[in-house]
Amino acid sequence: MTSRLKHRAKGLKAPQNLAGGIALVSIAALTLWLTRDLDPGTLSAMGSGMLPHMLAWAVGLCGVALVLSAFLHSGERLERGNLQGPLLIILAIFAFSATIRPLTIGPVTTPGLGLIVAVPIAIIIGGMASAEARIHELVMLSLGLTPSCMLVFCDMLNLPIPVFPQAVIEIFPDGWDAKSILRISALVMIAAAVMIFYTSRKPVLADRGESE
Amino acid sequence: METFLSNLSLGFSVALGLQNLGLAFLGCLVGTLIGVLPGVGPVATIAMLLPITFSLDPTGSLIMLAGIYYGAQYGGSTTAILVNIPGEATSVVTAIDGHEMAKKGRAGAALAVAALGSFFAGSVATLVIAALGAPLTKIALMFGATEYFSLMIMGLVLAVVLAGGSVLKAVAMILVGILLSTVGTDLETGDERMTFGLIFLSDGIDFAVLAMGIFGVAEIMRNLAQPESRDVVRKPIGRLLPNREELRQSWAPVVRGTVMGSILGILPGNGAVLAPFASYAMEKKLAKDPTRFGKGAIEGVAGPESANNAGAQTSFIPLLTLGIPGNAVMALMVGAMTIQGIIPGPQVMTGNPSLFWGMIASMWVGNLMLLVINLPMVGLWVRLLKVPYRLMFPAILAFCCIGIYSINSLPTDVMFIGLFGFVGYLLIKCGFEPAPLLLGFVLGKLMEENMRRALILSRGSLSTFITEPISAGLLLVSVVLLAAAIIPNVRKGRDEMFVE
Repeated sequence: MTSRLKHRAKGLKAPQNLAGGIALVSIAALTLWLTRDLDPGTLSAMGSGMLPHMLAWAVGLCGVALVLSAFLHSGERLERGNLQGPLLIILAIFAFSATIRPLTIGPVTTPGLGLIVAVPIAIIIGGMASAEARIHELVMLSLGLTPSCMLVFCDMLNLPIPVFPQAVIEIFPDGWDAKSILRISALVMIAAAVMIFYTSRKPVLADRGESE
Repeated sequence: METFLSNLSLGFSVALGLQNLGLAFLGCLVGTLIGVLPGVGPVATIAMLLPITFSLDPTGSLIMLAGIYYGAQYGGSTTAILVNIPGEATSVVTAIDGHEMAKKGRAGAALAVAALGSFFAGSVATLVIAALGAPLTKIALMFGATEYFSLMIMGLVLAVVLAGGSVLKAVAMILVGILLSTVGTDLETGDERMTFGLIFLSDGIDFAVLAMGIFGVAEIMRNLAQPESRDVVRKPIGRLLPNREELRQSWAPVVRGTVMGSILGILPGNGAVLAPFASYAMEKKLAKDPTRFGKGAIEGVAGPESANNAGAQTSFIPLLTLGIPGNAVMALMVGAMTIQGIIPGPQVMTGNPSLFWGMIASMWVGNLMLLVINLPMVGLWVRLLKVPYRLMFPAILAFCCIGIYSINSLPTDVMFIGLFGFVGYLLIKCGFEPAPLLLGFVLGKLMEENMRRALILSRGSLSTFITEPISAGLLLVSVVLLAAAIIPNVRKGRDEMFVE
């Protein structure tokens, strides 16, 4: 909110400092409001509220000083940043956390889709944040990177991360070994990545694959 | 002297164990691999790789983390020389002459001198740490709650004074960091503070989540806004071994840089940052023909690189002996130690000598490994440098998500790196640096605890901080330094130093 400030007030010499100062004052106000019920205690028996209160006042003071300095000393302007990129990154992260395993937010429960879906979703949504994004590159990257992650994190390091969608795990026949399914699907994905790579003839991914 | 040697031999017996040797190697390799990527500095590298080390035993995980740190630093120098994109403040100087050398087809010599100089500096710094560790720890063990609180204040003040940029903004960030550390259940009273009634916040904000958010994710958001212009050297790397003339020119700068870096790194603030700048300025002054600097003078690579590495290593001294992290990397180390159940401070050396000395010995081992890894693998690093950012950051993003999820298996942790990333991005836009925030955050809990204890002992009298002599001295130093940083004249000199 503060980053979009377009003030051209008279005497304002450092818009960046003004925005920063306002941000600090808001943090201080929020803290004081959140900790209003906490007992500050006395100096000889500090309560849980004392330090947050003291810090909030100090932060607020810094904020006021910054706001004042914005009118006294000239400083940097506020760059108008494009918010689209950062928001897509956040969206990608949220999409990952919603799909990696079942997550209940209020009345809604997301289906647990596992690493094999969450990583490509995060890579493709996140990748779109760049102005130079090319969708076929991102598809290729996710096809190459997802199996590497599956092999490194779930197979070699044995971290307890769900790999497949829950619905899919249920239809696997009992006798099948989870690890071999993982390895086979990883190989299939890598093969698919290599195929797309050769059919689209874009040499950008060559280095990527080796770095894994 | 005898204890010094027996301590070191204890350290080497730990560090040269097969598992720890492997971890140091892995750390150096992965650290270089990530650190060499343009736009990814050591702090982001460590923040990103932190989760991998959590499943190891304390000694192993710290050895690996230290390896990652050196690796990332070396990787950063490589990027600075070959692409002219310094990953962090300390390799800015290397980029000046290093990149010029690379343009003239002498990249190999620049890389080799940087690596050899850093190895020499690292070896000396390891000895310095080993020599100073024990006496400093003895002093620190005399400290009570009052002195500790004041010491932490001094550490934070020094961090502010020695960093570039606005003093006011840095102070504000430290305060916000301490404030963030108070989120969660208060250990003394059991009250929930600022948790919004959310269960996963009642344990407080997870350190790894905060670090990865404000360093990893925010960094990606910041880089996205900048159009990519990369100046990868097209010339061949050239001969890797420097010739006799180059060696003759660089040995003295290496020695001087090492001395300067070792001294500056010991300061409890972020003195290590100044080391390469100071070394570059000194070499320029001492040179017979200063005009060569900026046009590919090998002294301009050898000196600062050695100073950089020596400083990076001796900045472990305040952390290991006093428990005071001087910069963001050390703050990450504190976080990693705390997660392993080790409270950094003088008690580490007395209570856990094999960890303390093992880590110190592994520093030297790590430096040696970097020499072995880096030089033969330069070709691979060069190819990595050509990966465009638009493909690099989605991969980094995916690693961050998987890494943070693997710690607690909590999807909410993953969401929080997004939120903290965005907050960090907005703060950067407002001209705040995220590093002081992290410093405040890691020291916050200890500060509150020590302040509480000191005030209980003094029966609620704040004057205890200035009537106790050691504490008063520490606070006096802090006030003088802070005042000096604000006084215009000194400030001008300081800013000039950072501009250069």
